Amino acid sequence: MTDDDELLIEQVASAYRPVPRDELRYHPRWHDLGAAGRERAFARARALRELEAALDPDGLSTTARAVLARIAGAR
Amino acid sequence: MDLDVYLAAILGGDTRAFGGWMSGAEPRVRDSLRSFAQVIDVEAVLQETLLRTWQVAPRLVADGRPNGLLRMAIRIGRNLAISEVRRTKATPTDGDDLEAALAAGDRPISAPDPMLRKAIAECRDKLPDKPRQALDARLASAGGQDDDDLATALRMKLNTFLQNFTRARQLIADCLGKRGITIDLELGA
Repeated sequence: MTDDDELLIEQVASAYRPVPRDELRYHPRWHDLGAAGRERAFARARALRELEAALDPDGLSTTARAVLARIAGAR
Repeated sequence: MDLDVYLAAILGGDTRAFGGWMSGAEPRVRDSLRSFAQVIDVEAVLQETLLRTWQVAPRLVADGRPNGLLRMAIRIGRNLAISEVRRTKATPTDGDDLEAALAAGDRPISAPDPMLRKAIAECRDKLPDKPRQALDARLASAGGQDDDDLATALRMKLNTFLQNFTRARQLIADCLGKRGITIDLELGA
């Protein structure tokens, strides 16, 4: 993995995703990763969500917070 | 733990209860999509899966087994992932076993460990200023802003923001390791 790959993985592993319209929208940088980078981004996201949930007063990850925001119509 | 303890409140429209359900279900549903990680954006699929689970929860027919809503979510995620593979014309993956994924819904779910939560919070509190800012910005945005926007708000270049975020997670991983706490290796990578 190059340094550029590592920075891409760090971005793709976040919970940020453009709000879907007619179809799902991927993280814009996901397409720039190869197979190995996508696997790493998956694993990184899983590890980060556990960390985030531990730091959240309600035990929620940023994924769960993003979903609740969509339910509330905030996104 | 049977996550269906939240079901009655979820059916009543209680989003806090759905949050409680997600805190236990999210890792299981994410893991059930692991075999798709090379060909679709699992985070996007996962968020849509959880949203659809909230929307269709009233249709759940109890079968007397625990974690019925979790098993429904795994099925929704699997179907959505397969639709995405078709839509994007990606090459289907091997090792895509629905029964194995559903079995994840039958495994016991542990409640969060309060001691681990305390240790992680203490390690976070020891972070230097810039890494702490990057980590806090990600947490506060809760997936609502991309890293470009978060970096701009902190008056950092994108690469600087990402380097600070990387440093934050690595320092927390080191801190936990020094306390003898086993962590996911990817956190410190």
